[in-house]
This record gives sequence, structure tokens and C-alpha cells, in this order.
Amino acid sequence: MPTPTLTQSLVIALLQAILVVVFIFVVVPLTLYAERKVLGYLQLRLGATRVAGSLTGLTGFINRNMWKLGKVPMLSYWRGIVMLVGDILKMILKEDILPTKADKFVFFIAPAISFCASVIVFAAISFVPGTLFTLPAWVPIIGGLPVSGAIGDVNVGLLWILGVASVGVYGIVLAGWASNSKYPLLGGLRSGAQIVSYEVPLTLSLLAPVVMSGSLQFGEISRGMAVGLPFWGIVPQFLGFFIYLTCGFAETNRLPFDMPEAENELVAGFHTEYSGMKFGFFYLAEYINMVVVAALASAFFLGGPWLMPFGLHGLLNPFFSAHLPALLVPFLCQPHAIFFVVKIIFLLFVYIWVRGTIPRYRYDQVMAIAWKYLIPLTLVNLLLAAAVRYCCAV
Amino acid sequence: MRGYAPILILILVAVALPIIIWNLSRLLRPSWPSAAKYSTYECGITTTHEAREKFSVRYYLVAVMFLVFDVETVFLMPWAIQMKELALFGLIEIGLFLFLLLFGYGYIWSKGALTWE
Repeated sequence: MPTPTLTQSLVIALLQAILVVVFIFVVVPLTLYAERKVLGYLQLRLGATRVAGSLTGLTGFINRNMWKLGKVPMLSYWRGIVMLVGDILKMILKEDILPTKADKFVFFIAPAISFCASVIVFAAISFVPGTLFTLPAWVPIIGGLPVSGAIGDVNVGLLWILGVASVGVYGIVLAGWASNSKYPLLGGLRSGAQIVSYEVPLTLSLLAPVVMSGSLQFGEISRGMAVGLPFWGIVPQFLGFFIYLTCGFAETNRLPFDMPEAENELVAGFHTEYSGMKFGFFYLAEYINMVVVAALASAFFLGGPWLMPFGLHGLLNPFFSAHLPALLVPFLCQPHAIFFVVKIIFLLFVYIWVRGTIPRYRYDQVMAIAWKYLIPLTLVNLLLAAAVRYCCAV
Repeated sequence: MRGYAPILILILVAVALPIIIWNLSRLLRPSWPSAAKYSTYECGITTTHEAREKFSVRYYLVAVMFLVFDVETVFLMPWAIQMKELALFGLIEIGLFLFLLLFGYGYIWSKGALTWE
């Protein structure tokens, strides 16, 4: 394997960064679409699951012709997609309003901070250990070189993720302050206090995988929790997984913890004064943060890119290699980015599922959950992890 | 430091992204400013006074408590990585540390700092 020069590795990094951006801009709109549709089914709302499934208009034209060709109209599976198109168009096409009383510069920069912070977190996330794919030889400058599964799997990866992710709260608090309006200020304060409170149990619950794998490097923790133990991380860390998910929901301001956006109390919370693409950046940042939380949960607790649960790799790999068709072997025996992405998508579904099921908490309940229940629980969980580390030698 | 160079590239891309999207959408969106549109939102009534006034001291308390507990998690990090190597000594040390911290935690709980009215 040739070692890349500095220029080459920078070009590869640029390619990886573009891949991450593409990944974000594919997954986030699909989550928006899925959210409307799944909520539509959960709450028996008819619109979101049926719109544009008719026999009129452009989709109707395609559908009718597909019927004529004797095929099931594909578009009917995509019912509701026009609502997604509408969402995106509205975000881009709406007028951008800058209130005269607002602090112009901070008002402008706050959504960008939230958005950038949520994208930069992806630097330390390792989608697959080792090489993601090798470039074909005809590519200029970087032909024949491997592209690794992480942009920078640095040895302080988890600290990087926690540190950068918590920069996002600045965007929210600054947005609330810069609007110079009462609802955004209250919303920003509430949101800031909530995110800051849940950061403590979040970090403590992520310490358990660190204890069990003995590393801060994302790929190492993922490997340690998936194949280092005799089972996936969720088995010894069942409690930790649920604490982490709870904190993750609160960190991303999702129901049942969407205090800053409690419509009946605070209009739209910290982004009341925002419109157009500036609001769009907050919106995108929220969904990107959801993907990040899901990525961490699936890497640390659900086996990451490894498919076989419960440590069956060592047991089943020889059997698979001998008996399965050669096409399937790399999929079932080796870690693969597809499994990681599938687990992320499943957790995003859980997000929507919870949103459709659990009603919103009161603000005092939200703070009580963080300080009175989750912090003691995480400390107990940490003890549990330490005990597992002592007993099962990694 | 070579491992961090790709991260710098991602940071540049992430910063460029909002600027690009923002300027692209500027080509598409309308801009018809008016005084009423640019006034502060307050449920349709005229704004009476400045929004930035006194707010509950609890937010400040939460910030202080967060500081204490976040430093605690930072102190736990090195122990978490080196747990196996530090063995019993580390366990006792961290037990003492957590005991002191939990003592303070119990104190602020009994003082009612954790209860939000």
C-alpha cells in the first residue's frame, strides 16, 4: 500500500469531507420525510401519508402510465414526498427578516455556529475501521490510494466529539440573546440551561464505554464494545444505553424534552425571530445532531459496523467462509459501513417513534430528571462498567 | 499532527457551507422590507420595553453546578482510560473523589438547589 504524501492526504480529506456533507444532505431530508410519514401513521393524520398519491397532476401522469405498462406505480410508495419538497423550498425561498432591534452580527452568526459545530463533530466519527474503499487508478492525484472510514480517527476522538458538540449551545443562547425579544430570550435561556444540565449525565454515560474499552479513540471504543467484549455494548450497558438516549434526546431538543420549542408557552423558543435560511440552519443543525447522537449510540452500544451480535464473529466466521457464497462473506464477517448506517437509521426511527408516543415534560420535571435521577444513575452505571472491566478481561 | 490536518479540511468545508448556501438562497428569495415586518414579535401587540431584563437566578445556579460537575467528568476521564492499570489504588482514589463530590451533591440537594419551582 503506497503511503500518501501530505498533498494527497489533504485531497483525500477533502473527498471525505464532501462525502460527509453528501451523507448529511441525504440522511437529513430523508429523516424529515420519514418524520412526517411515521408521525402521520402514528397519529392517524391522513395528509402526510397520502398527499401526491393521487391520479392527477404530474405524479398522476406517471402513475397512470405505469399502470398501463402493467407495473405497480412506484410513486405511490413515495406518497408525501411533495411535503418534503415543500419544506425545502420554503426554507430556501422565504424572505430573510432581520429585526431592527436585533444585534445584527450575532443574529447572523448564531445559526452558523450551531450548523458548523454539528458538522465538525463528524471529523472524529469512524464509519468503519480501516479502509472504506480504495480509489481506482484513473483518478488524478489520489488514484489507487485507500480512503479510510474516518476523517481523523484521533486518539482524543470522544473528547473532540463532546467538546465540539457542546459549542452548538452557544448558537442557541446567542440566538436568543441577539433577537432582543422576550420569547427568544426565555427560550434561549431555558434551552441553554437544559442542554448544559444534560451534558453532565451524557458525558458520564459515555464514560462507561471508555472504562470498558480503555481508550478515547472512536474506532477503538467501537471495536472494544462490539468485538472486544463477549457481547455487544448494550448487554452490559443496558442502563447506560437508555441514559445515553435520554440525554441525547434532551441535547437535541427533541420531544419529550423540547422545552425551548414548547409552542404553547414560548411561541417558537429561541428561533422565534428567525426566518428563511437562517431558521433552516437551526433546523438542519437539530437533525444533524440527531444523526450524531444516533451514530454514537450505534457505535458504542449497538456494535457499530459489525453485524453479528453477541460476539458470534469468532464462532461463525470460519463456518461462513466455508459454506456461504463468496459474495456474502465480506458482508457477514467483516465490519461494513452499511451496517453502521442502518443502525443509525433505526435509531432515527426511534427518535420519531418516541416523539409520536411520549408527551412533553414540564420544565421543572426536565431539570429534576437530569439532576436528581440521571446523575446518580450514571454513577451507578459507571460502577457497573468498572466491575465488568475487572471481570471480563478485554 | 498529521492526523489533525484532515480535520482542519472538514472545519473549512463546514464553515464554507453556510456561506455558500446563504448566498445561493439570496439569489432566490424575495426581499421587500417594511417597518412592520422588521419589528419585534410580541403576539401582535406593540413592544413596550426592552427584552433584556432581569431573569431568574436559577439559570445562574444551573451554570455554576454544571461547572462543578463538568470538571468532575473531566477528572474522571484519565481514570476511565487507565482504570485497569491503576487497579485498586485508582479505585480508592476515585472513590474518595466521588465521595467528596457526592457529599456536596447531597448538600445542594438538601438546600433545594436542584428543585425548580
